[in-house]
Amino acid sequence: MSVTAAMANSVVERAPPLLRVLGLAKHYGEQHALAEISFDVHAGEVLGLIGPNGAGKTTLLEALAGLIPVEAGELVWRDTPTPNAERRDIMFYLPDGLRPWDDELVMRVLTFFATVHGRTAREVTETIGSVGLAPVLRKRVHALSKGYARRLMLALALLTPQPLLLMDEPFDGFDLRQTRDVMGLIRRVAAAGRTLVLAIHQLADAERVCDRFVLLADGAVRGAGTLDELRAQTKLMPASLEDIFLALT
Amino acid sequence: MRSPDVIAVRRTPLRPLLVKELRGIVSGRALWTMLLIMCPIVGFSFFQAVSLYGEASASASDQAALASGLSPLDGVLVPTFGAFYVTVTLLFPFVAIRALGREKETGTLRLLVQLPYRTPTLIIAKAAAVAGAWLIALIPAVSALVLWLMLGGHLHALETLNLLMGHLLYGLLIGAIALFAAAITESAATAAIVTLAVTIGSWILDFTLAGQPGLAEWVSRLSLTQTLRPFEQGLLALGLVLGSLAAIVGFAELATLWLHPGVPLRAKLVRSLGCVAVTGALVLLAAQVRTTIDVTEDRRNSFPAADQRALAALRGPLVITVHLAPEDPRYVDLRRNVLSKLERVLPNVTIRLVASQSFIGRSGDDSYGEVEYDYAGRIDKTRSTSDREILPLIYGLAQVPLPTPVAGEDYPGYPLVANAALVLLWFFGALPLLIALAWWLSRRAPRIPLSTCQGGES
Repeated sequence: MSVTAAMANSVVERAPPLLRVLGLAKHYGEQHALAEISFDVHAGEVLGLIGPNGAGKTTLLEALAGLIPVEAGELVWRDTPTPNAERRDIMFYLPDGLRPWDDELVMRVLTFFATVHGRTAREVTETIGSVGLAPVLRKRVHALSKGYARRLMLALALLTPQPLLLMDEPFDGFDLRQTRDVMGLIRRVAAAGRTLVLAIHQLADAERVCDRFVLLADGAVRGAGTLDELRAQTKLMPASLEDIFLALT
Repeated sequence: MRSPDVIAVRRTPLRPLLVKELRGIVSGRALWTMLLIMCPIVGFSFFQAVSLYGEASASASDQAALASGLSPLDGVLVPTFGAFYVTVTLLFPFVAIRALGREKETGTLRLLVQLPYRTPTLIIAKAAAVAGAWLIALIPAVSALVLWLMLGGHLHALETLNLLMGHLLYGLLIGAIALFAAAITESAATAAIVTLAVTIGSWILDFTLAGQPGLAEWVSRLSLTQTLRPFEQGLLALGLVLGSLAAIVGFAELATLWLHPGVPLRAKLVRSLGCVAVTGALVLLAAQVRTTIDVTEDRRNSFPAADQRALAALRGPLVITVHLAPEDPRYVDLRRNVLSKLERVLPNVTIRLVASQSFIGRSGDDSYGEVEYDYAGRIDKTRSTSDREILPLIYGLAQVPLPTPVAGEDYPGYPLVANAALVLLWFFGALPLLIALAWWLSRRAPRIPLSTCQGGES
């Protein structure tokens, strides 16, 4: 049995997984971007995809969202295989570093997303308040600072109704205080019933916000579980996520 | 069974998507720049057309025969819309590409395809926005029509609408090609190169291959500019309309197939082959529809009214065998003056082109140049290409009397001597200023409710 398959089988025994990722593989020519990736996602948790730059985190998220074709593997959502075309029904992927419709006003982009997803004006106002976008509503997206562009993306994600949110580097572009605020927001979103999968390369950030971790390196899963499970797996007691990652990769 | 927490994505309102797409085009520079460039080009063409029409009208003022040759369609509309056509060919691709190219370049496409719309819906919305942009681009040309009426000019509704429809089909075709180019390329610049290669390539096809025999002649028919010709001649060609619509839908479908980044390349290629095959078959089928309607007021594409009525009453089969090569100027004359008109009016006519090879070096073939008319077994031959000789021949074969010309049915012509100098002020001054103002207004931020603005501080 492969390492990843073994990890898939050693899922925390608490509830049937919301999503099962089974044997996801992606090649770019001779290069293996994703090598037989398998892991589970549980309802209401914040799962961190942890790895250095180039580990395959973004590729994995895009493959999960059905935005890039894969050579092998499947996603099982509540025991039902889910083809690419149906992924958007269950998950929403928030890419990294994107300034959506950059020639538009922030308010219009928000209104568009809200209208498409049937959100009320009150919900929009609450979302704007929760991410602190109010000062830039009349600005064009291309004129936003990196931090506000991040907040806009976060607001868009909050306006979507899908039960699973995939976010690529959600803390990039935020200072220390803003990062704490966003972490708090993410925890509240999870507490409200949504499930989040975050791709994070800052291990300290990941350790503070995620319930469980999937450690990635060179396109392969090197470990999966809660911090305690990973500590037990590596026999490093006590150890930080950084220590565990270094031990496993 | 699907999980209950899967969102219902199939009943999403279309309006916000349409508004976003149209706003996306309107908020860009491409549309406004095209409009500003279009103003002087269309305006000067209109000014020149009105001036030349006025000169011709001045010499025809006291001669009814000369006046009857003055049609606003040829004299004013076609030249004015010719300038519109040039700017649409060269600049409209940049406007249409923006509808998709910008989203691909910035990566926003990854958000777009996750919205609860089917991929064809996304392309339909973009195509609708492109059509909207074409309507906005029409403003200078339509303003020319209004000015023409204000100068005292005459417009025939049917032939004007027919010409507008031809340009609409051409604009939509360019737009669909641009969307397809944007879907298959990674940057707007590359998409523009691809689209311009097609549009300018069409001109080259026209210049180099039109009038050549055989395959070259067939290839030249693929030129996009061919789409406009019949409409400029006052003909509503149903086959051409259907073929153009099939091509527009085909390119839009190809854009749909290539839009989603999650579909493997091989699947895109296979589906594209199927789409091309179906579209090609539909275009070929449409080409078989020969029905054309003469919508001109002067009935230039028809025989005189009395002949039309007499010919329409002939029920017997007429078989015309033409011993001419297709590129022979005599055949071109014969087709324009007689054959095309006969095809429109006669219920049962067959035209056979016998000499399909080049007419050069055919001096030894005595039958070359002859045209044989066979009506219900009675046969006659002539080398004439004029309807004045051929129609009596057909009446003779059909054993019906020559129809008597009906007085008062002749086209009177619409001569007009007008001072068009003032229109230059409109096209070089007022209209560009209005467009610039509209551009500025489109860039203004809307008012936002106070409660929304205070969302962050509550």
